[in-house]
Amino acid sequence: MQNKKHIIEIKHLTKVYKGTSKPAIDDINLDITTGEIFGLLGPNGAGKTTTISILCGLFAPTSGNVFIDGMDYQHSSETIKNIIGVVPQDIALYPTLTAKENLTFFGHLYGLKGKKLKTRIDECLELFGLEKNAGKKIKTFSGGMKRRINLIAGILHKPKIIFLDEPTVGVDVQSRNVILDHLRNINKEGATLIYTSHYMEEAENFCSKVAIIDKGEIIIEGHPEELIKSKEEYTNLESIFLQLTGRALRDE
Amino acid sequence: MLRLISSIYKEFLVLIRDRAGLAILFIMPLFLIIIMTLIQDATFKSVKDANISMILVNNDHDSLGAAISNGLYESDFFHIVETMDGDPITEDMAQQAVAQGKYKIGIIIPERATEAIRENVKALINKSFSSFNIPGTKRRTRKSTVDIKIYIDPATSQSFKNSLMSSLKEFTAELEIKLFFQNFSSTLAGMFPDQDPIEFENFQTINYEEIYASTTGDEILPNSVQHNVPAWTMFAIFFIVLPLAGNIIKERDEGSVVRLKTMPGSYVTVMFSKIFIYLAVAMVQFILMLMVGRYLLPAMGLPQLEIGPHKIALIALAIASGFAATGFGVAIGTIATTHEQASTFGAVSIIIFAALGGIWVPVYIMPHTIRIISEFSPLYWGLNGFYDIFLRNGNIVAVLPEIFKLIFFFAVMLLIAIGYNKINNAK
Repeated sequence: MQNKKHIIEIKHLTKVYKGTSKPAIDDINLDITTGEIFGLLGPNGAGKTTTISILCGLFAPTSGNVFIDGMDYQHSSETIKNIIGVVPQDIALYPTLTAKENLTFFGHLYGLKGKKLKTRIDECLELFGLEKNAGKKIKTFSGGMKRRINLIAGILHKPKIIFLDEPTVGVDVQSRNVILDHLRNINKEGATLIYTSHYMEEAENFCSKVAIIDKGEIIIEGHPEELIKSKEEYTNLESIFLQLTGRALRDE
Repeated sequence: MLRLISSIYKEFLVLIRDRAGLAILFIMPLFLIIIMTLIQDATFKSVKDANISMILVNNDHDSLGAAISNGLYESDFFHIVETMDGDPITEDMAQQAVAQGKYKIGIIIPERATEAIRENVKALINKSFSSFNIPGTKRRTRKSTVDIKIYIDPATSQSFKNSLMSSLKEFTAELEIKLFFQNFSSTLAGMFPDQDPIEFENFQTINYEEIYASTTGDEILPNSVQHNVPAWTMFAIFFIVLPLAGNIIKERDEGSVVRLKTMPGSYVTVMFSKIFIYLAVAMVQFILMLMVGRYLLPAMGLPQLEIGPHKIALIALAIASGFAATGFGVAIGTIATTHEQASTFGAVSIIIFAALGGIWVPVYIMPHTIRIISEFSPLYWGLNGFYDIFLRNGNIVAVLPEIFKLIFFFAVMLLIAIGYNKINNAK
């Protein structure tokens, strides 16, 4: 029986890609509580994307298990996909389609239709300040506008769990604030957010709990404030990150 | 169903928003079919309507020279040249002109050639009648064989050379028979002086009647359009592989595939929506190409495409060909990791399939091993099916084996794509 408080449970999760001997993630164990904003942080190549990809059902682990709301992908893939929302780091939209056409298409794939879908699209576009651009093609949008539409496409169906892979990368301060404010609101309404970012200050302010992953292993986990208070030399989340993962460049 | 319809609509929007791509998709196959049919029309007509310029040096000035000369002039196959700058052409001039590629062929009929043939015929007849001791049939010495020289431009095609040789042999054979009969007649006159001499009558004893075989009894006359429109239509349908594979790779590169794979419903639904749209494109291409054959090519002086009565067979075969092409496109788009890989492999493999399918060289004249390999080319199946309909007047039953093979190819390609996706996800 899975713990109901934990909407995501990761048990001894290991992934070794074919053709490599070193695991991308090695025996990871994590529990994410319902309603949390969970930050998965780490340098490039640490194993964040691999972990998120397995949690989203993009591929299977080499060993170990993940439980999403008590279910696993082997048995309940379709049910899980209906309760999760994914906001990829890349702008996963069709550039020659308008914002409304993109959202209508993704809404239909989630089974939304008719007036309900239309109302939800209008509501989201208004929420993110894009209602005037609904009929414009994505390729004409600025970086910040694309990020916001990319986010809306992942939350349109009001998922219980939202995976956000670098949702604010490359956007201006205004867009970043809009995105983070609305994500906080969505979280307040009950959604659990799993978030990755390279912006430590943002993660420190945004996340209720973080885990730092490096070389495929979780090296620290806890509430940002508690982690900062745990050692004198820790002044903020970035200082923890640098002390634990080192200052050497990570290009892969 | 909502997911499938929505995916089809999305693919439709993506397609029509790319105006330049859409124009290329429809206009290029039409250019291909017009240009290739015009070019192939000349090859199909072969020597007949090409009116190729040829040098004739007639040094004989007697029956043989006249027979060859008249035969060539009357055939309308060739434009005969006997003088240059007002002067009669010599053998050296002819050899030089052909060697320089100014003329494809130069025929040199030697001096006293007819006389030599007459002597040879007489020698042959007299030898046969020598035992009868008929007056005037004393043994004669045979002259050496008459050599008609034919200078050929090395760039001349083998088929053209064969056609010319066949025509020349026909003209000279007729003359040889005529001379033989004339001498035979005069010999008999010597044997039976009281009888009236036998008149030689040029009577053709064998006639060749060409009938194009058809299972239904209705005859469709083959012409360049009947041959080329189906062939190049099949070729063009398969080129749908390139934009389809490109569409799949683009979607993957832009990151939409990641989102789609994390959404409810099978990714196969997305694939089917692409197949549906590109199949529709292939069918529109097919209709446009038939219309070109039916209305545009006749306006350019070519024969009109006869579609024949078996339209259901034609539609079924076109759809099956479209499925085979889209299946191949899905497999390439799934396996290739870059646009460069997909476009190079896709284009080259279609050309190989087309070559094996007999689009350039008929399969029946290919080497045995290649003929066996051809049996596995989807373009061969499609082309054979189209020939069944357009040339052999075949109905749906006649093309069912080809339809089955094309659909089987589609299914195999789709399974390869799905299997590859699964393996890739398991990495």
